[in-house]
Amino acid sequence: MNKIKLGIIGMGRMGITHFSIINSHPEVEIVAVADTTKMTLDLLKKYVSGIQVFKDYKELIETSHPDAIIVCTPPNLHYEVCKFAYERGIHVFAEKPFTADVHQAEELMNLFESKGLVNQVGYVNRFNDIFITVKNYVASGLIGDVIRFKSEMFSCTVSKKEESESWRSFRKNGGGAVYEIAAHAIDLVDFIIGPPDNIVGTSMNQIYSKHVEDIVSSTFLYKNGCSGTLYVNWSDTSYRKPSNKLELLGSKGKILADQHGIKIYLNEDSESTKYKKGWNTVYITDIFTPVPFYVRGNEFTRQLYHFADTILGKEKGNLCTFKDGYHAQNIMHHLFIDAQKNAIIE
Amino acid sequence: MEKIDKIIFGDNQFFGINHMSQEKAQQLSEKFFQTENIYKVYDLAFKSGINAVMLNSNDRAKEICEYFRSNKTKYGHLAWYPSIPYPHKYANMVNEKGIFPAINDVLFSNNSALGVLGMVAKGGMAVLGKDAIELMKMLIDIEVKMYKGLDVKVIFIQNIIVDLLLGYNVKDVFYEYCNYIRKKYNAIPGLITQNMPYLKSKLEEWGIEEVVICSSINKIGYLMSPDIQSYLDAIKNNNPDKYQLMAMSTLASGAIRATEAYEFINSLNIQSVVFGASSEKNINETVKLIKLGEIN
Repeated sequence: MNKIKLGIIGMGRMGITHFSIINSHPEVEIVAVADTTKMTLDLLKKYVSGIQVFKDYKELIETSHPDAIIVCTPPNLHYEVCKFAYERGIHVFAEKPFTADVHQAEELMNLFESKGLVNQVGYVNRFNDIFITVKNYVASGLIGDVIRFKSEMFSCTVSKKEESESWRSFRKNGGGAVYEIAAHAIDLVDFIIGPPDNIVGTSMNQIYSKHVEDIVSSTFLYKNGCSGTLYVNWSDTSYRKPSNKLELLGSKGKILADQHGIKIYLNEDSESTKYKKGWNTVYITDIFTPVPFYVRGNEFTRQLYHFADTILGKEKGNLCTFKDGYHAQNIMHHLFIDAQKNAIIE
Repeated sequence: MEKIDKIIFGDNQFFGINHMSQEKAQQLSEKFFQTENIYKVYDLAFKSGINAVMLNSNDRAKEICEYFRSNKTKYGHLAWYPSIPYPHKYANMVNEKGIFPAINDVLFSNNSALGVLGMVAKGGMAVLGKDAIELMKMLIDIEVKMYKGLDVKVIFIQNIIVDLLLGYNVKDVFYEYCNYIRKKYNAIPGLITQNMPYLKSKLEEWGIEEVVICSSINKIGYLMSPDIQSYLDAIKNNNPDKYQLMAMSTLASGAIRATEAYEFINSLNIQSVVFGASSEKNINETVKLIKLGEIN
């Protein structure tokens, strides 16, 4: 196969980052970008050689004929962009959250699977060395059956009252702490434990936002008796950057993990891993694997290379598909329903 | 190119940055909430023989610069190595408003930064949006302003910006940045990167020389893309008259013991090391262990 001809739709913060990362892939050629901001397009056209720029994604697809696109528009637009690409047989990487509507997520999942097109969602933690290791340990039974878990995430994304409104100010566009931040903490649960069978006790708080939630907490229940809690706050100013915290209690021990490392407590020595009874610590420096080009953390490079290498037939493309995106979307959908149900009526 | 200092005292330890442990980062952040505690550690570093400081333009750096400026008799001999910008400031603003409104705010809402008249004369965002180089120069001026009056030797751009731009493969931005730092600030341009071999090869290709390149260099290859061997090759073949190499993350966030870490560093063709520590013992021990250019 020749180089993959790639288009990027939406050149906001993630589009800009993805451009830089995937442009380093030797078998990818970025042929075009689309954005609605003229200033962005002017600058790219002036300084980056060899790319076409478009105000309309349809025009990009019809003119540049990319083999694949990366979709970084506001989430409520993912559906129409993905569907337009599907109809023309184009592979798609869509940023998270996958959509702003669970039915659209389900439809896209089915469409892309039926045509065998490569499809991936930007749940980047699935490419993080720490969380991959945790998943493998849990799957191999290191801590036995998981009985209870906590998935938490904190960031200082919104730390004052909004001065103006943007797509981020409304849930229907894909804004709010659940879609933007909690999505990652929810996806980690789906990644490591699986989707819950019931969601109860969801509540949401506002601190600074007018129309969307800043904090969400909830309880996830599973048929096998496992349960766990979700707690996410995107207005926690004590955090310099977004941080996930995961705690898993199993029948044989427990695991505490964040982006820096893993603490493992075992009831007995583990022969397969050489971890001892009691506390064991794994640092990121013990388990990292380098990437060919680094911009924002190994996981960001790894997820895009996985997308490209799947199109090239070098990877299976099963690490974060539209199906995984649909799972997270479905959980978020039920969080909103449950929170609504639990609201106090005055 | 003027020779840079062999040992430079870094600042991560003061601002709650620790790549190994969030807990440790929080402890340090508490300790250094009181700026006096930061000055005490600086004094320990200077006592150990260090005369150079790398300081990121974060929200507390302004106060620190002011302190050193106003105690010139005691600290006038120090060489300063600013790194700009403070990325999280921009990240949050961009999240909230989008990229151009955020830049607009930084440049124009804060009238004290440039002055309203200067802004109007330059034509505002409408003009700057067409000229990334002019935009870059204005952003540099805002970030560098706090270091005015200090002896600035090298001005570094943070790796998140350098590596992002490197991915776009645009010569002009790097070329103009280096020129601007030399002409306007009479300093050596510096670039921090996590992709040193690739950056260095691009600079060579573009004919940009006399630059300081700062990157993670450690025995286990942590934060060294694409891999440790490419780093060793690039370091071995480097001509320090063209590119002075500065090592950071030499201990890989504490994964390597200091003696072992610096044995490795000392064996390489590296011109400078930046490290941070907060105890007298660790500072003195590190200074004793760094012996650049004495072995090879």
